[in-house]
Amino acid sequence: MPKFLIWIAALAALIALPHGLSFSQQEILVFLTINVLLVASYRLLTLTGEWSLGHVVIMGVGAYSSALLTKKLGVYVPVSMLLGGVFAALIAVLLSFPLFRMKGFYFLIGSFAAGEIIRLLWKRFRDPFGGAKGIKGIDPMPDFSVGFYQFDFFEPTSYYYFAGVVVAVCLWILWRIEKSPVGLTFHAVHWQDKLAQASGVNVRAYRTLAFAIASGFAGISGALLAHYVGTINPNAFDIDLMVFVLTWAIVGGTATFYGPILGCVVLTVINEVVLRELGLEQMRPLIYGAIMILSILFLPNGLESIVQKFTQRRASNGAPERSPAE
Amino acid sequence: MISKIVKSGLTRRTFLHSTAAAAMSAGLPGTSLAAGSTIKIGFLAPLTGAVAAWGKPGLDGCEIWAERVNAAGGIKLGDGSHNVEFVAYDNEYDPAKARTGATKLIREDGVSFIMMLGGDTWPGVQPVADKTGMLFSTLLPSDLSPDTNTLIAPAEVHPIYNVTGVEWLAENRPELKTAVMCAQDDALGLPSVATYLAAFEAAGIEMLDAPLLFDPATTDFAPVVTRLISKNPDIVCLDTCYSDYVHPIAEQLFQQGFKGQIISCTADFYDQMIAKTSEEFMEGFVFQFPDFDDPALNGDNINFTDPNGFYAEFNKRHPGQWGAVSWEYASIMDLWKAAAEKAGSASPDAVAAAMKEGKGKHAFGDADWWGTELFGIDNALVGDWPVVAIEGGKATIKEFRSIPDWYAKHGDLLVKHMQAYDQMWDQRS
Repeated sequence: MPKFLIWIAALAALIALPHGLSFSQQEILVFLTINVLLVASYRLLTLTGEWSLGHVVIMGVGAYSSALLTKKLGVYVPVSMLLGGVFAALIAVLLSFPLFRMKGFYFLIGSFAAGEIIRLLWKRFRDPFGGAKGIKGIDPMPDFSVGFYQFDFFEPTSYYYFAGVVVAVCLWILWRIEKSPVGLTFHAVHWQDKLAQASGVNVRAYRTLAFAIASGFAGISGALLAHYVGTINPNAFDIDLMVFVLTWAIVGGTATFYGPILGCVVLTVINEVVLRELGLEQMRPLIYGAIMILSILFLPNGLESIVQKFTQRRASNGAPERSPAE
Repeated sequence: MISKIVKSGLTRRTFLHSTAAAAMSAGLPGTSLAAGSTIKIGFLAPLTGAVAAWGKPGLDGCEIWAERVNAAGGIKLGDGSHNVEFVAYDNEYDPAKARTGATKLIREDGVSFIMMLGGDTWPGVQPVADKTGMLFSTLLPSDLSPDTNTLIAPAEVHPIYNVTGVEWLAENRPELKTAVMCAQDDALGLPSVATYLAAFEAAGIEMLDAPLLFDPATTDFAPVVTRLISKNPDIVCLDTCYSDYVHPIAEQLFQQGFKGQIISCTADFYDQMIAKTSEEFMEGFVFQFPDFDDPALNGDNINFTDPNGFYAEFNKRHPGQWGAVSWEYASIMDLWKAAAEKAGSASPDAVAAAMKEGKGKHAFGDADWWGTELFGIDNALVGDWPVVAIEGGKATIKEFRSIPDWYAKHGDLLVKHMQAYDQMWDQRS
C-alpha cells in the first residue's frame, strides 16, 4: 500500500476514534494525546544523552504561565498556550546555566532539585501561583464553529480534535528537528561528544538547545492540560507523574521517535482502561509495576523492538533476496 | 446525539436527558429510574496512593451501609422501593482523573449522586457539576464557594470542628499554656492551620513559633520534630496531617522524649501508633474522630443508624482499617436517603431541595445549613462535634461540643486567620 494511503487511513482512524469510545474513554483520550506530546518532547532531550527529572515541572511552567496570562492579563487562550511554551523554554535556558555544569547522574539529580525549587516557589507565593491549592477556574479554550462542526471544548471530542492538531504539528516539528543536521548533532553529542567537540561542535550549546526545545513543547502540553481541566496545582506536576513519563519512555524504548509514544499509549490504555474495566481498580499500582518489571526483563529494548522485528520481517519477506556480494 | 445537543446549546436539562438516554441505550440505568430498579451512587475518591486512607475505608463503610439498607427494603421513593449500589472510581487525588471519573459516573453509569473527598480534585470536577447539575458532596467545605450550587458538605465542616478539641483542652487542662504546630503545605493543611491558630488564640494558648509547614513529599520527620519541640512547648499540634505523617511524627516525638500534650485532627489506625510508641505516651492524645463502638454514640441525639453494629461489622470485614472516613460517607448516605425519600425522587434537584429544608440530621445530632461567612454559601451542615482522647489505649469520646457556639464567640478570629492564609472563599485563586 502506498505510504500516503497509510497516512490517510491513520488520519481517518484518529478522526473516527473518539466516536467509538465511551464518554470516559474520550476523556482519557484527551489526556493521552497531551501526554504523547509530553513524552515525545522528553525523548528529544534524551537524544543528547541527558535524562531529566524536571521535565514534568517544566510542563507545569507552561501550564502556570498560560493559566496566569489568561487569568491576569486576559490573553487569548491559543496565544497564551504558545506563550506558555515560550516561557517554559526560557526557564529551561535559565536552568541550563547551572544544570549543564553537570552530566549524567549528576544532571539527573540536579534537574530534580531544580524542579523541586520551582514547585516550592509555586507553593510559597500564593500570589500569583495560588499556593498549594494552585489555580482554579482557568479559562477554557473558547468555543467556535467551522461551519460543519461546532467546537464545544467542554466536550472531550472537541478538545481531542483541537489538542490532536496541536500535538500533530508539534510532533512534526520534533520529527523535522531530529532528522535535521541539528538532530544529528544531538546524537553526536550523546554518542561521540569528544569527537563532536573536536569537530568544533559547541556541545554545551547543543545540550541547551535540546533542553529548551524539549521544554518548550512540554510547556505547550502543560498549557493544553491546564485549559482543559481548568485547574492546576503543584502536586499535579510532582515526581509521581515524572515516574510515569520515565516509565513510558523506558517501556516504549527511546531508540525510535515512536518508541516513547508507543509506551505512553500502551501503558495508559492498560492502566486507565483495561485494568479499570476488569474491576482491578485498586490493584492497578501493583499490576502496573509488575508490567514494568516484566517488560524490562523480557523487552530490554522496549516495545519498539517488537515493531522493529515485525517491520524488518515484512521488509525481508517482501524484498528480493540480496546476494552477499550486494 | 452530541452534535444535536451541541447545536441546540447544552443546558443541564438537555444534558441530563441525553445522558439518561445514552446510559439507557448502553443498558445502564439513567437519571430517571424505572420502578424497582437499582439506584446507583457514585463514589469518586482516592482509592490508591497517598490519600487513599481517606477514600478506601469510606467505600468499605458504604458497602456495609448499602447491604443494610437493601436488607431493610431499600430506598422508598414515589414509584416504589429501590435497592442501592455504589459505583466507585479511583481519582488518585488527581483533578484530571476526577473529571474523567465524574464524566463516567454521570454519563455512563447514570448515578444519582456523587460523593467525593474533595480538596485538590474538586476544581477538576466543578465544570462537570456546573454543566450537568449533578449533586456532589465533599468532606472538605473549603471547596464551597458561592458558585458551587450543587456541592454540599453534609458530613464534616473540616477544619472548623478542630476548634472543639482545643476548647476542650483549654478547659480541662488549663496548665497547658504554649503550643507549636506543624502541617503539610497543601490545600488540606493550610485551612486547618488557620483554624487551630484561631482556636489557640481564643483559648489564650500562646504559639511559640509560626506553624512549621513541611512539603508533602517529606519522609524524614526527625528534623521537623526536633525543630518543633526545640522551645519546649506544652502542646504539639499535628494539624490535619495525613496518617502517613501523623504516625512518623508521633514516633519521632516519642523517640525525642516529648512528654507534653499532643492534639491532632485525626489519629487513624492509632493502635499502630501505640504499638510504635507506648500506651503511656499516647495516653491523652486528643483528636476528633471516634470509634463507633463508643457508648456515647448511643445517645438519643445521634442520627447515625446503629453505630455500634456498623463498627462491629466494619471491623469484622476490614480488621484494623477503621479510620476517620469509615463512617462519614455512610452518614452522608443517611442524609441523602432521608432526603430522597422525603422528595419521593432520586433526582439531584429534588434531593438537594429536600435535604436543605429545615434542620439536617447530621450523624452527631441535628444541625444547621451554614457557611455564608466562611464559604460564601450555606451548604455546610454544622452542629456538634465530638472531642476524642485516647485513654488506656482506646479512643474515648470526652464530650460533644457545639461548633456554632464557638463560632458565635470567636468567629472574627477564625476569619482573621483564614484571611491571613488566603483561605477565605473570595481569596482562592
